[in-house]
This record gives sequence, C-alpha cells and structure tokens, in this order.
Amino acid sequence: MSTGQTPKQIGSLSFGLMDPEEYREMSATKVITADTYDDDGFPIDMGLMDPRLGVIDPGLECKTCGKHSGSCNGHFGHIELAAPVIHVGFQKLIRRLLRGTCRECSRLLLTEEEADEFRDRLDKTRSLGEDLGDVTKAAIRRARKASNCPHCGETQYDIQHEKPTTYYEVQDVLSAEYSERIAAAMEGRPVGDEEEGEVDREPMGPMELAEETGIDSSRIQEILSSEFRPTEEDRESLEQALDVDLTEEDMNKLMASDIRDWFEDIPDRDIETLGIDADKSRPEWIILTVLPVPPVTARPSITLDNGQRSEDDLTHKLVDIIRINQRFMENREAGAPQLIIEDLWELLQYHVTTFMDNEISGTPPARHRSGRPLKTLSQRLKGKEGRFRGSLSGKRVNFSARTVISPDPTLSLNEVGVPDRVASEMTQTMNVNARNLQDARRYVANGPETHPGANYVRRPDGRRLKVTEKNCEELAEKVDPGWEVSRHLIDGDVVIFNRQPSLHRMSIMAHEVVVMPYKTFRLNTVVCPPYNADFDGDEMNMHALQNEEARAEARVLMRVQEQILSPRFGENIIGAIQDHISGMYLLTHDNPQFNETQALDLLRATSVEGLPEPDGTDDDGIDYWTGRSVFSELLPDDLNMEFEGTLGEPVVIEDGQLVEGTIAEDEVGEFGGEIVDTVTKVYGNTRSRVFINEVATLAMRSIMHFGISVGIDDESVDSEAEDRIQEAIDSAYERVQELIETYETGELESLPGRTTDETLEMKVMQTLGRARDSAGDIADERLDEDNPAVVMARSGARASMLNLTQMSACVGQQAVRGERINRGYEDRTLSHYKKNDLSADAHGFVESSYRQGLNPQEFFFHAMGGREGLVDTAVRTSKSGYLQRRLINALSELESQYDGTVRDTSDTVVQFEFGEDGTSTTQVAHDEENPIEVEDIAARVMNAEFADEAERESFLKGDTLQTNLSEHQDTWRTGGAVPEVESDD
Amino acid sequence: MVDVSQHELVPEHSVVSDSELDDVLDEYDIERTDLPKIKRTDAAVPDDAEVGDVLEIVRDSRTTDRAVVYRLVIQ
Repeated sequence: MSTGQTPKQIGSLSFGLMDPEEYREMSATKVITADTYDDDGFPIDMGLMDPRLGVIDPGLECKTCGKHSGSCNGHFGHIELAAPVIHVGFQKLIRRLLRGTCRECSRLLLTEEEADEFRDRLDKTRSLGEDLGDVTKAAIRRARKASNCPHCGETQYDIQHEKPTTYYEVQDVLSAEYSERIAAAMEGRPVGDEEEGEVDREPMGPMELAEETGIDSSRIQEILSSEFRPTEEDRESLEQALDVDLTEEDMNKLMASDIRDWFEDIPDRDIETLGIDADKSRPEWIILTVLPVPPVTARPSITLDNGQRSEDDLTHKLVDIIRINQRFMENREAGAPQLIIEDLWELLQYHVTTFMDNEISGTPPARHRSGRPLKTLSQRLKGKEGRFRGSLSGKRVNFSARTVISPDPTLSLNEVGVPDRVASEMTQTMNVNARNLQDARRYVANGPETHPGANYVRRPDGRRLKVTEKNCEELAEKVDPGWEVSRHLIDGDVVIFNRQPSLHRMSIMAHEVVVMPYKTFRLNTVVCPPYNADFDGDEMNMHALQNEEARAEARVLMRVQEQILSPRFGENIIGAIQDHISGMYLLTHDNPQFNETQALDLLRATSVEGLPEPDGTDDDGIDYWTGRSVFSELLPDDLNMEFEGTLGEPVVIEDGQLVEGTIAEDEVGEFGGEIVDTVTKVYGNTRSRVFINEVATLAMRSIMHFGISVGIDDESVDSEAEDRIQEAIDSAYERVQELIETYETGELESLPGRTTDETLEMKVMQTLGRARDSAGDIADERLDEDNPAVVMARSGARASMLNLTQMSACVGQQAVRGERINRGYEDRTLSHYKKNDLSADAHGFVESSYRQGLNPQEFFFHAMGGREGLVDTAVRTSKSGYLQRRLINALSELESQYDGTVRDTSDTVVQFEFGEDGTSTTQVAHDEENPIEVEDIAARVMNAEFADEAERESFLKGDTLQTNLSEHQDTWRTGGAVPEVESDD
Repeated sequence: MVDVSQHELVPEHSVVSDSELDDVLDEYDIERTDLPKIKRTDAAVPDDAEVGDVLEIVRDSRTTDRAVVYRLVIQ
C-alpha cells in the first residue's frame, strides 16, 4: 500500500451519542450562510461550500489540512441551531426516557431496590452476551407503572407520542365548562355526556354544598358564575360532594427545549440502570442544539455541460435548514408572537428530520423541484443499493470478465479456455528484472493489440505510460529492470472462475489460462457438476489476480484439483459424467477386444506411452487387448480394490489391473465414484486430476469407437410383448373395477386410520402402480442389453429404467399433490367421463407409452402432472435458496480455533471439538472395513520418518540432539565465568 | 407422565463439580458464560441442577463414538 502510513490494528469500537461540544470542536467552520457560491463562482466563506470543509476541485489545496482533492477526506462544519430540535433516530428512546423518569426531579421512577434488581439483571445478560433491550424495556415498563415518583412524590402523567417528533403529556385539567357542570350537578341533572337517569344525584343547594365541601358560600357563588377558578383542593372536594367529574384531558405539548431540560437532570446512575453508559452518552445529547455539516467531499456539487452547478441533495437540505434557522432567529429577536415562533420551530424540526431520514411515515418527504424525493442521510445507507449492501459488502471490480461458456474436452480440468480478446484486455503486472527482461521487452514490442502483448508500463519514477501501436517499439527498448509491465494474460496464468449462484465453495475455483480464439470461455465437462453449469447459454465470470500472494494462494488452495473432494460428504464431487460413463461402460462391460491400432487410438490422448503385453491372439493370429486392460493403463500400478459396483457385481482391481467388473457411475462417477475417490485419497490430488482427465479422454475415444445413438424407435417392443403389456394393464383395470364395485356396495374394508374413500384411492393407486411396473418388466425383457438407452440407464450415465418403461410400455398414473387427478369439473375430471366415475382412465392413468402416443385425455392429464413438477421446482429453488442464505449468514461467523474448538465472534464455544472428532471430511476417510487405527497410523508415520530402530528409539525417549555445535564450544565454556544473560527484549 | 430424561435417545446429563469445572474452564481458557447454554426448564436437565451450574452431557456421536459437551444452566 502506498498510503505512507503503517497499518494499525483496531483495538475496540464503541457506539454512543456525541457531545454537542465535540461537534463544535471538530468543526472546521461554523456555517451561517445558506449560499454556496458567489457571482464569480468562488465558494462563500462560512457558506455550505466553505473551502475549509474540504476540496473537490482537482488542483486546489484544502484550507484546513493543506492536502489536495483525493487525499483530503474533508472536514465537518457545524450549524448552531436557533432552538433545540429532536433527533428522529431516537424517537423511541426519547419516549422511553420520558415515560420512565419523573417529570419533576428527572429520576428513574424505580425504588432503590427495584433499580438494583434491574442493574443485576443487566450485568447478568451482559455477561451471557444476550440482548440488553429486553431488560431495559422491562425496567421502563415497571417504571411506567408508578403513578407517583418514589423519590419526590410528584404525580406522573402519561406521555403520548405523535410520530415522529411530537410528545405530549396527558394531564387532567379543570374543564372549561366547570361552572355549567357544577350547576347541572347541583340541580340533579345529568352532567356532560351522561345519559338521563344514568347517575342518581340528589339536588343540592349552594348552602348545603358549602357545608359539605368546607368552601365559603360566597366563593361557591363566584365559582358558579365563572368568576373564580376553583383551586385544586376545592375542585377535588367539589367533585366528591357532587359526584361529578370536573376535569377534562388536556394534551400538554412538550417542546424540545423542555425535553432537553428534563433529560439534563437525569442522574448518571439512573442512566446506567437503563443500560446506557453515561460517560459516553448523556441523554440530553439526543436533543440537537448544534448540527454537524458533512464535508463537501460527502456532497460534491457537479458542474453540468452548460456551466450550471448542480448541488447534492444533502446540500439542498442544509440550505433549507440554514434558511429556517436564520428566519427563526430574526423573528425571535424581533419579538414575534409565540404562534409564529412555534410554527418556525416546527418547520426547523421538519427540515432537520428529513435531513436525516426522508422516508419517515407520517411526514411528507422533502422533494426536489422536479418532484423527486430527496436522498438524504439514511437513504444513502439503507437498502440493497445503500452503502452497506451496495458499496461495502458488494462492489464492482476491475480485472473481471464474463461471457458464455462452452465445452472443450481437450482441456485439463484445471484449465479454462480464455478468448484472446479477454486475455489482451486483462493484465498481470510483471516486475521487470534481469531474468525476464527479454520477455518483458517482447510483450511491450507486441503492443496492446497483438496477443502476448502489454497495455501499460510503469517507469521506476512511478509514471504510468499507455502502450500504443505507435509507441510500442520505441517503448520496448526503454524497458529495463525496475520497470513494471502490465502484460496480457498468457497460458499458465492463474485466474479465478465463478458461476452464480455461488452456493458452495466449489462455485469459485482457480483455473490455469489457455488463451484461445473465439468468444467463449471453454471448460472441461468434468467441472460442470461443482459449478452446476451446462452449456445452454450459461455465462461465467473470470477474475485476474493482481498480486503474488493472491496468485500463490489461488494456486495452492483454490485450483480445481484441490477441490476434487467435497467438504460436504468427503467424497469426490468431480468425476466422469454422462458420455464418459457410457463410454467406460461400453469399454469394460463385455470386455471387448481391440487390435493394436484400435488400442493405441483409444489411449492416444492419455499419457500412456506404450501398450502392455497383449492379452492374447485371435483366430487370425493377430494380437488383441481387452477393454479392461486398456482401462487398467490409467490406474496407478499398485492400486488394489474390491467392491460392489454399479451393476451389483463385484469390481476387482489387483495391482492396478482391472480383473473383473464394469466401470460405470459408482466406479468413476461424479458423486463418490469409488476409484476416483480412492485414487484422490491414496495417491493425491495431482494423480487424481490426471486420472479423471484420462478417464474422460479414454471414454470419449471409446464412445466414438463404438458409437451411440438413441431414437424413440429403439424403445419399441414386438407385438407379442405389446399384447402381454396390454394384458397386464387390462387385468389391472379389472382389479380396479372390482375394487370400485366392493366400494360401491360398501363392502370395502378400510385400512387402519383411513376412511373408505382414502382406502379405495390407495388401493387403486397401488394396483395401477404395479400394473405399470409389470408392463415395464415385460418391456425390459425385450430390450437388448446393448440397447443404447439401456446402456445409459444401467451405467448410470443418464435416465433410468423408469424412463424406459414410460417410453416403451406405459406412462402410468399421473398425480397432482400425490393423489390421482381429482380436479376439473363438478364430480368429474373432464366432460368426457360420467359423473363420479372412479375408473382408472377417468382419473389420469395413462395407459399408452410415449412411443405409442397419448390420447387427448391422457395428454391433458399428463400436462397437469407435468405442470405440478415445474411449479414445484420453481418454488423449491427460491424457498431453499433463501433458507440457505439465512443459514449461511447465521453460521458465517463461526470459526474453528487453534485449540480445536469452534467459536463465534464473541468467543462463545459452539463445539468443543470441530465436528466432535476434530477432523476434516476430506482428509480422513473410514468405513466399516477400514476403521481408523491411530496406533497403526502412528507406526506408519514413525517408520517413514526414521531410518532405523535406534533412531526411532532415541526420538521416543526424548533424547534431543544438540544443534548448532561449535568447534570452540568447550573453550568458551571453560574460558571464564558464564556471563549473566541479560534480557534484551 | 413420561420422564423424558429417561428416554433412550436423551443423553446423560450430569452436574459438574466445581473442581472439575475449573479444569474444563482452564482447558479451554474460557469463562463459564462462554459455554453453550441450556434452560433450567429443559426436560433433560436433572432435578438437582440449579441456574449457574454446568452440565456435562455425554452423547453418542456419529464421528466419535462418545462426545462430551458442557452446558451452562440458565434461568
């Protein structure tokens, strides 16, 4: 990094409120004028574009720090607000503090014991690392219950909050019509909203009343004629005597200044009971008296083409604030009426509110002249395009490319084919030295357009020059050690390759570049499974790495061959797919014989150099090699395996020779192919990469040798089989008919826990399912072993026997929501059927095979079932994608520590040993037959480590050989007293 | 009522003595509150466990045969 600063470590972060004094201290200037630039286009002093707030025009010097635009981050200014204003971000906290503290003495409305209890609870939750909000909310809830202050005894009133920034105290005050009410009550009439006869009152004379209440009778007369307002005490005694309510609710608005005074008196100790650190955040700081003005660098103005300046939204908002602020001050000094002052105060509050957040409910958003709502502070941060999600977690990067992908089986799985036009756009930096000088000069001489060329050079003095077609020859001669050359990507460079959605770590892997013509990225088909890629138009991204550390890390950790084993299940995720598997099956299943030319042709793209001894000679005396021995050439020489293969038959490999068995999906396939998995674990990733590449090329050669093609007519069966299939289906129909008849006569016995209707449905489904299976079995008998579709299904390359059944015998029952098709018209599925027809074909049983073709009703039912499948996958992917995203976000902070535990960011233990056994899924493998024997492993390591028994013994005994022996060792030891060792740390 | 803690699928929960606990905390260099938690009201918690106690849970594991986990009892 070239910032010229030493890197520093962040020790801690704390969040809190900011002291207004601090705003003033850090301010570069006070802002008092709403204007920005004067007529000559210079920024006005103490205006919103004051040059002390930072520089945005290149070439100018910052008046505060002296730096130029780009290196000066800008400096805050401040506006002295004419009156305190509420900060919208703290509406809820203000409400809670008002409700929880005394209106008179500002103390928390809790007794000492209660406060202690909450402080204890706070300490406990803090140490458990849980949410403090629950405790503080509970404290406020308790405090709110107090009707009188436990400290000064003052009556407390309810606080009402009118969003966003108005707070009222709800008080009971003497009603304006008190005299009428008293008069009415004295005459025994209903008072106020009372219904006739609701309250039973005796009429009472003034003398009587005076006696009862102890108020002077002349005073009572005065009260009745509204000449005198009764005092609080008088009111209460009057109310009691007359059984009447003389009060009405009054909303007493709390001004921001009142709230500030109120908060100022809250003692620090009480603040702490509410979980707030009083040293860092005093509650009165919530009420703003001074407003920080963001530096101009945060709100740059742009000059339009016509020379007009256009200001940032924030600047517009600040202009509004300063204008109102000014007007407020002028009006106050001129002694304007309270009403006008209050209006201006509210307006100032509105502008400050919208300056911080312009999307507050209940407040009309401040708009630009064009009617577009302004983008103020909170809008800059929030949401997908906001600062966090849009600019920090994710951003656009340089040195990246994206294009369509296509397959290239000649590439290694580690490679990626990069189009030349991409390679010559994305560069790698070469530090020129004596060893690579020639290369560097050649790249520069080639210029930016010929492929292994260069786009830029940097001279030792730091000056960056563009290489052009014109200057490239000349520049090439000047290149010397110490220069930097930005050369094109060439074969062998490491790049990162990615396909979205990046759901697991194998979605981003490092590949080696192979520069190629045309416009697509090329990749070997065996890396399709980890990326989940296909070639129906998929696009992928490539990133060129920009420093040596990144390149080394990518090569060592991220290369495709390092990802062959999946951390999810500890077996290989990369392996032969589709045609590779068909090819291997054809090559090894019937163990065909090849003459020398054919055998060599099969192995020509592999690293096998010569054929082994022939397996025999045919009738004509010509040598032949079998498919299995051709395949065996790819295996490591000392590989021994025996397991049950794809076809359920044993696969035996002895000393690297396939002795018995067919190679197919379970042997070399993508998810846990036994041989690939073993080769990777026993012989390492590099050997495994070679093996997979060669299996793929051998399989391609083999499938080309035999040839494979499928048409629908390959799945036809002879008429005898067709008759038998028809018979099977007919007999199923009969059985279904019998079931329906027993159901209709009410003789059907229901299965436990089911109604008879459900039982019938189940039994019908079962019968028809069996019918399809037996039809399939009949067809299966008739399809040859070498039928291409059978080969694909048996080998596990693609499709299943069920698909074949559907093609050649019977498509079977269509289902929606796991049931036969029951929807459509009233009491029937289609108008082709009678009402309440329970038969198979009326409920979506497709008797035809795909080859025969479906009749219209069958086609319709099939479409119903098919659509359900489509909807399901669409819904499932979106649902599970979101679920996975949430899971990953929740778990992403977990980290396994050096002591073997898994902990989260607050150091809480999640697992005491990673995965309970502390091992990596990809590094350790075991099964029933090969358990992990720690002793054996230790012995093996020891044997490999030590040449003989004696050396081993001495190591185990803990004898340490002395190192760094000097010939003069003894002389310095005896040469004098050993000097005292002084610590020099 | 079924006593869930006696069910065969519920692993053994036992209260850890203070000296044992000190060893555990020392081994991992953690505070008691850094341990995973378990609610006092959890049916598997033994009756004599109190809030603040630490339980040792020994359960069968698919990766190791026996996995030992410690949990702090809360509320």
